[in-house]
Amino acid sequence: MSDTQLFEGAGDEEIRRPLMEKVIAISFIISVLGTVGLGVTYWVGGQPQVEGGFLFLALGGIGVGIVSWGKYLVPQGPYVQERHEMRSAPEDVDAMHASLSRGLGQVGRRKFLLRLLGGAVGVFGLINLFPFLRSLGPVPGKSLFVTNWKHGSELVTADGRTVLASDLEVGGVMTVFPKGFEGEPSNAIDQVILVRAADYDLVTRPGRETWGPEGYLAFSKVCTHAGCPVGLYQELTQQLLCPCHQSLFDVLTGATNVFGPAPRPLPQLPLYVGTDGVLRSQAGFDEPIGPGFWERGA
Amino acid sequence: MNDHKRRKSKKRSQLSWAVGSVASGAAVLALATIALYPHQGHAEVLASAKVATHAKVAAKPAAHGASSQQPIVYKNPPRSLIPQGRQLFAEDCQTCHGPDAEGSVRAPNLQGLGAATVDFWVATGRMPLADPTEEAEIKPPRLSHEQQLAVSAYVASLAPGGPAIPSPNLGLANLSKGESLFAENCAACHTITGAGDALANNIYAPSLWAATPTEVAEAIRTGPGDMPRFGPGTFSNQEVDDIVRYVAYIQHPDDRGGLALGGVGPVAEGFVAILIGLGSLMVAGYWIGGRAQ
Amino acid sequence: MSTLEQRAVDAADFADERLGVAKFARSSFNKIFPDHWSFMLGEIAMYSFVILIFTGVFLTLFYVPSSHMITYHGSYAPLRGQKMSEAYASTLNISFNVRAGLVMRQIHHWAADVFIAAIVVHLLRIFFTGAYRKPRELNWIIGSSLLILAIVNGFIGYSLPDDLISGTGIRIAFSIILSIPVIGSYLAFFVFGSNFPGTSIIPRFFIIHVLILPAIIAALIGAHLAIMWHQKHTQYPGRGRTNRNVVGIPFWPAYALQAGGFFFITSAVIAALGGFVQINPIWLYGPYIPYKVSYAVQPDWYMGWLDGALRLMPSWEAVFGPTYGGHMIPNVFFPAVLLPGITFGLLFSWPWIEKRFTKDDREHNICDRPREHPVRTSVGVGILMFYIVLFLASATDVLANTFQTSLNLVLWTLRIMLFVLPLVAGLVTYLLLREMAAIPSIGDPKIPVEIRRDFDGSFTLAELSIHGEEEEILELPEEVAYRSLVGGHGHSAPSMDTNGDQSSVETSEAGDDHGVFEVPRD
Repeated sequence: MSDTQLFEGAGDEEIRRPLMEKVIAISFIISVLGTVGLGVTYWVGGQPQVEGGFLFLALGGIGVGIVSWGKYLVPQGPYVQERHEMRSAPEDVDAMHASLSRGLGQVGRRKFLLRLLGGAVGVFGLINLFPFLRSLGPVPGKSLFVTNWKHGSELVTADGRTVLASDLEVGGVMTVFPKGFEGEPSNAIDQVILVRAADYDLVTRPGRETWGPEGYLAFSKVCTHAGCPVGLYQELTQQLLCPCHQSLFDVLTGATNVFGPAPRPLPQLPLYVGTDGVLRSQAGFDEPIGPGFWERGA
Repeated sequence: MNDHKRRKSKKRSQLSWAVGSVASGAAVLALATIALYPHQGHAEVLASAKVATHAKVAAKPAAHGASSQQPIVYKNPPRSLIPQGRQLFAEDCQTCHGPDAEGSVRAPNLQGLGAATVDFWVATGRMPLADPTEEAEIKPPRLSHEQQLAVSAYVASLAPGGPAIPSPNLGLANLSKGESLFAENCAACHTITGAGDALANNIYAPSLWAATPTEVAEAIRTGPGDMPRFGPGTFSNQEVDDIVRYVAYIQHPDDRGGLALGGVGPVAEGFVAILIGLGSLMVAGYWIGGRAQ
Repeated sequence: MSTLEQRAVDAADFADERLGVAKFARSSFNKIFPDHWSFMLGEIAMYSFVILIFTGVFLTLFYVPSSHMITYHGSYAPLRGQKMSEAYASTLNISFNVRAGLVMRQIHHWAADVFIAAIVVHLLRIFFTGAYRKPRELNWIIGSSLLILAIVNGFIGYSLPDDLISGTGIRIAFSIILSIPVIGSYLAFFVFGSNFPGTSIIPRFFIIHVLILPAIIAALIGAHLAIMWHQKHTQYPGRGRTNRNVVGIPFWPAYALQAGGFFFITSAVIAALGGFVQINPIWLYGPYIPYKVSYAVQPDWYMGWLDGALRLMPSWEAVFGPTYGGHMIPNVFFPAVLLPGITFGLLFSWPWIEKRFTKDDREHNICDRPREHPVRTSVGVGILMFYIVLFLASATDVLANTFQTSLNLVLWTLRIMLFVLPLVAGLVTYLLLREMAAIPSIGDPKIPVEIRRDFDGSFTLAELSIHGEEEEILELPEEVAYRSLVGGHGHSAPSMDTNGDQSSVETSEAGDDHGVFEVPRD
């Protein structure tokens, strides 16, 4: 700490800058007025812009004042201070090594006890980590593989209205849920985008011959990329676009991913039209919906 | 001692001078701030201003014609306009759409699409095109309001079908229901603030900030261009009216936080934070960190 | 002694008699801080953090961390009657009904944006001036950790209002955690307390945001400052500045006043932003409902590079075996887990990576000039460019819309730019710096000189001050005088023969700072 003596007593000469003193005084006065304005604004009910403006004056006045004071009215030097290398003197380092080794020797001699201690702490950590993690949430189990869609699920809108095959015009689009699961939290997983791409039966892919009655195609609305709702339907090109990362899915070929980062098509929900004219699902999805995870394959 | 006194009195005169100048400065600033945001004096003023603007929005379409208690009234233009429409169609449209609007390789068949479709394309200036290679973009309409109605009347008279021109009655609309429907069905393309955005392959969801209630209702019902069509099976007239009401709201939203930055969200905010926020602080730092004199 | 002084002295005595602070306090008061605008960047970050604490405490008084769904009956008409989480409803309440609530919310959000921006620019300053070298590697590690914590806490705070846009962000966060191989699905369920969305995430985020991370950040900032205090600040080369000294202003009073004032100026600027520029108007976004979505959804700027990486990633994922029973490394793992892992791994290990090449184990207290280190600077510029392209990629849709070009074209352009631009920028930087290095005395301040030829034929060179007064007269060898005349630049003769250690005294003396200078000695 001896280095600080270098400039002690230096720079005590008086700095005279009347103009600066005036500027600083004005700054502080601006601050006071700003604070008063702020108080009045609060008193009468507050208004964001006026509050922001007065806060700016109140804080800025103090800030400019203090900085100017520190910059123009007190000595600036420059002063010089020595610095030392961080490492300590060799004799101190040696003494540290000696102390460290002495302690280590006293403890490390009892190897068996040391191992036992390590074991005890390790077991404690491991075992207690488990309930801590386990209390946080359930294990996923099969929940990422299933939705609430099953054979005969009625398609309903978010407010529970049953969707009839006559409801959508060609070029229409709608978000639907299995009846009874239109509320939270299941609607996050079960959401399906229903598109009417034609007025005749559509086959998106071999093996899906009956899935698109009267031109109705239904796909999981959860993007296979990062899980956003694929709510953006471009009617002329008959493509679904994900608003988050712009993955593009081609509806007529079974929502195949044609552009952007999405690695898989949106799973298609097989539909049929009941005798009552209500749209229903033939079965649940034939693959897990949404983004990928370790436990699923292709 | 004497010297000290003199300095003190000099200081006092400095002080009064400073107080005066600063007080007037602050007052000007405060007034300017309030003037910049005329709708937001303080809470009560704010509330009354809002009621007033809401009332204005609600009153406008009511005066527009729909006097009934229907949320939307669909009306075809008067048949008397058909001859004028035929004339205009022959001049501006039939090169591409064919003499009877039956379509060609260049342009779609318009028969049976109804007056609302034609009115939407013509009223938003997308049609007629100056030449067939041009893109159909929003621009000031080339036809007058009467001419727009005339062309719509003519095309609608060629074949039945399609909706007539809707007049939403915003006075009957539920703003909150409109927000909910808008977020579910419209925001995915037009963005939640209605700013519009680019879709895939050179398609754009246009900004909704200049659309009239009739245009919004027409677009919902007819699905122009790449926009899906939302027929009566999807939205009731009441629901369309609700959405139109919400679109009218986001054209003049409550931007009580200050400058709205174009309604494009965090991208613009990031630039402001870095360039203006950090930028001005770095300038301040340049002043502070520099050597005096 | 005035009464003020007397009181301060009494207080100091009180402290010293109980804690023995005199020695430390004296050395602290007298500690010298070098002056440079680029040394203020870290201060901006720290002051923003203080603002975040103040405004954040205010916000916690009104915010309700709950996913419980209620029906809104508040004063914002366009959402009245809708179902929403209590978290969102309370944020509406802060924005519309709490007096000064909106301005506080906006200041808080702007402060967060500025906080991380300042950290990043501060980090760039440290990087390009080589201020992370021995003995400052520990502070480099702490600073990098602070950057990660600030980004994470920023994202979590952005998510707390539970509005439509931030809710979509939480959904993506779930998918990212889910994508981690082997443990991903377990981890995601543990963090969220169930499958997405669940009702636990908002309260959990809240306690992380207001307690756990701020406490860690505050502790690390404390350590960061203490280490800086102990090691003394680095300084730029200049006349009289050596590796063994610090030249600048004393902590008390000059530096303390300037730094203290800067806190108020930072607060003022952020308060002005909070008052006049709207940020995150959550009432216009509506409540988060999992099947609703808005286009043009972006995270806050500091998450932009991750969002951009998610967008630019090709549609590729690693699969082993069938859908049921097989395994998968999902697409988002690569841009959203692997890339940040590599990014921060590289960041943390940079001082040691450089050491491996330079074999330099000396202490460095003099900052490098970026232009004098073409390799480091060009590598830095290249890497920076990589992240700038990623950042731009987070706005592909906004860019396409603004410039009315195809979204697909923008995406492909950026995919190519991501690899081309860093190489080009790095190479151009490198070549430019090599060129500059070949020009003698580049960057030195131009000193007016007068070269005189005496009757005996010898040359003298008079160095003039800015005011034209003679300051120094040097005898000049003939060829040097000739070169100075022909070259047309200020004299560089004294530094010609001392091109040794970059950070040594000799070279620095040839540098700038010809201001008034006093070097008090023992």
